[in-house]
Amino acid sequence: MTYTFRGGTHVAEHKNTRNSPIEKMPAPAELHIPMSQHIGAHCAPTVKVGDRVLRGQIIGEIESGLGCPVHSSVSGTVKAITSYNNAQAQPVKTIVIENDGEYELHPDIKPFDKKLTETTTEEIIEIVKKAGISGMGGASFPTYAKISSAIGKVDKLIINCAECEPFITANHRLMLERPAEIINGTKILLKAFGLREADIAVEDNKLDAVDKLEEKIGDSKMIKVKVMKTKYPQGDERQLIYALTGKEIPQGKLPADVGCVIFNAETCASVYRAFSQGLPLIERIVTVAGDCVVTPKNVLVPIGTTFKDLIDFCGGLKKEPKKIISGGPMMGFAQWDINSPVIKGTSAILVFSEAMCPEDKQDYACIRCGRCVKNCPMHLMPNYLAMFSQKGKYEDAEKYDVMSCVECGTCSYNCPGHVPIVQYIRVSKGALRAKKAAESAKAASNMPDIEKK
Amino acid sequence: MNNEAKQTAALLTVSPSPHIKHNDTTRTIMVDVIIALIPALIWGVICFGLRALAIVLLAVGSSVLFEFAFNKLLKKPNPIGDFSAAVTGLLLGLNLPAATSYWIPVIGSFFAIVVVKGLFGGIGKNFMNPALAARVFLFAWPEEMTMFTEPFKRLGLFASSENISDVIASATPLASLKSGNLPDISWVDLITGKCAGCIGEVSSALLIVGGIYLLVRKVITWHIPVSFIGSVAILSAIFPQNGDILSFVMSEVFAGGLLLGAIFMATDYVTSPVTAKGRLIYGALCGAIVVFIRYFGGYPEGVSFAILIMNTLVYYLDKFTKPRPFGKIKGGASHG
Repeated sequence: MTYTFRGGTHVAEHKNTRNSPIEKMPAPAELHIPMSQHIGAHCAPTVKVGDRVLRGQIIGEIESGLGCPVHSSVSGTVKAITSYNNAQAQPVKTIVIENDGEYELHPDIKPFDKKLTETTTEEIIEIVKKAGISGMGGASFPTYAKISSAIGKVDKLIINCAECEPFITANHRLMLERPAEIINGTKILLKAFGLREADIAVEDNKLDAVDKLEEKIGDSKMIKVKVMKTKYPQGDERQLIYALTGKEIPQGKLPADVGCVIFNAETCASVYRAFSQGLPLIERIVTVAGDCVVTPKNVLVPIGTTFKDLIDFCGGLKKEPKKIISGGPMMGFAQWDINSPVIKGTSAILVFSEAMCPEDKQDYACIRCGRCVKNCPMHLMPNYLAMFSQKGKYEDAEKYDVMSCVECGTCSYNCPGHVPIVQYIRVSKGALRAKKAAESAKAASNMPDIEKK
Repeated sequence: MNNEAKQTAALLTVSPSPHIKHNDTTRTIMVDVIIALIPALIWGVICFGLRALAIVLLAVGSSVLFEFAFNKLLKKPNPIGDFSAAVTGLLLGLNLPAATSYWIPVIGSFFAIVVVKGLFGGIGKNFMNPALAARVFLFAWPEEMTMFTEPFKRLGLFASSENISDVIASATPLASLKSGNLPDISWVDLITGKCAGCIGEVSSALLIVGGIYLLVRKVITWHIPVSFIGSVAILSAIFPQNGDILSFVMSEVFAGGLLLGAIFMATDYVTSPVTAKGRLIYGALCGAIVVFIRYFGGYPEGVSFAILIMNTLVYYLDKFTKPRPFGKIKGGASHG
């Protein structure tokens, strides 16, 4: 039986790197490691310019709040500590490391030597935090925080190997080549939550990976592979939980509120490596694809490698690039700088020519075909949301539940009238958030001092 | 070296996701509708002669011309490439009798494209189906709109008024029904299209073939045609006006413009609901109004009126059938 949800659409898959084994890329001469790679506080550098650093050494540490440390992916010398803009146009402190080619491991990096049965939940959280692991599927939430906030609330662990974004095959190759890492990581996470059963969710366009995982699971009753219908956005946690359990995460709530916790396949494998080798998150699998890339492939990339170095490793470009996308074509971010670094959440680099992503038409028009309504995985009415947004009627958009939109892009993808629906929705959401923030700021300033604290 | 040069010289486009798109466009959808209507058009020409083709081509040509001229006048981008004006013209032409005067399709196209569509803001903004609104407008010349000729008595391009009056049909099947009798042809002939009527409405079988094509191509969904035709069939079965229920229901369904209306006109995106539930209600109410007009109205046919009346209710149907958003759970729990 295949599991699925209502809505969504089958997007042209373009998974042409599915047969490309993971290639380990030698670290380039220079790496750019940002001090902020995900949700949470920025790290403060713990090294100075001129310091020698070792592979796996902590070079940035959280001072307070949510976040996890950043490590050096190579051994070498700190060349500079400077500021670069990230994909969201925010300046981020970045440590530039000159690679000495020795790959000398930091002496702290050694396998965790306790048996899993004797390991406590606190120890697991500590190891995951120290290894700097954050979600590797795209949203990038610090993994230790996800574990500790969900403990005691969840009765179901789900490993997300749906990989519903077109082009990306990084998780697929991971499942084929290193299924044991995913399964052992799942066992560690089960231990952390004190649970006995986990589901590994895989779309049915990767049945070879299902076989590999099941072979490795063997007779174990703890882990089951669940085959999902290939449909975008099957990998969204809301749709995934609904498909597997029939539960809907209420608006504004988290998976833990319906008793579920979800980890990406590679995140799970990284947890295992933090135990088995003591390795922090300093490299990840990236799918490099798109019609401009000479040899599209899956690459194991040291964190901090620039897109340019990675693209050169894949033979460079054969066509004039129009867009460079970090992540999938449905939800990824278009980059303006080919020197942006690969970070913990970079699952793919796609380089598209004009032919793959033609310029949006200026004279777009909604013809009310209803495809956006039919396909919306959140069961919204995107055509109305876009219309309200266009007219500045943000309150009407709110009444039509615009805040429930997950910005998966299914509506814009299908729109025959070329209406940039998601972008209109983002405008409404931004305006509503700003309004809310202004109201609460006003309320706070009106409060008597004694209550202000 | 060459690669490096390419990379550094390139100016990258930064735009929001999604970065890829489905191949369907307004234009491909309109082309599909045209393809789906071609069999019915060919049958109309076989039945009523080359004059039928001339009427349809005049409607298409003048619709496209008015669309071009109107937008030119308003200094807007030229939209004729989306083929929506061609579809409007085609539908209008197919809704006319072959013997009507040549100025009729031109006047109709003007009303459809300029008054109903253009003045309300162009594609996607009109609240009534332009072709149908034009057809009803053309009833200002009732004789022109009821010049139905006998099938297979084909009219040439330059048929004189004597030629035409020689082959005028005594009564359309619907007119017979209106007077309380079953049509004097069997409903099998109604399905194959051996009867008098508008150019595009006579062959029910070929209209169904076109409808299936649109369903397969996912241009339309089944909801409106099924609920529309279904409600006409059910209501006429419940309230038969003639003893033989089967023949009566079959005649009500296959005579007149019901299939052309239910498959091609009521499913017009712009003027029909966007939700599946809304489409079911819209189709069912269209059917009910058709039966009501056929039974109690002054005209023998009610499909055009029914669709136009329901067009005005589309926004309310959308609103009342708004789906429950994922995660919006009744009885609190939401908005945490």
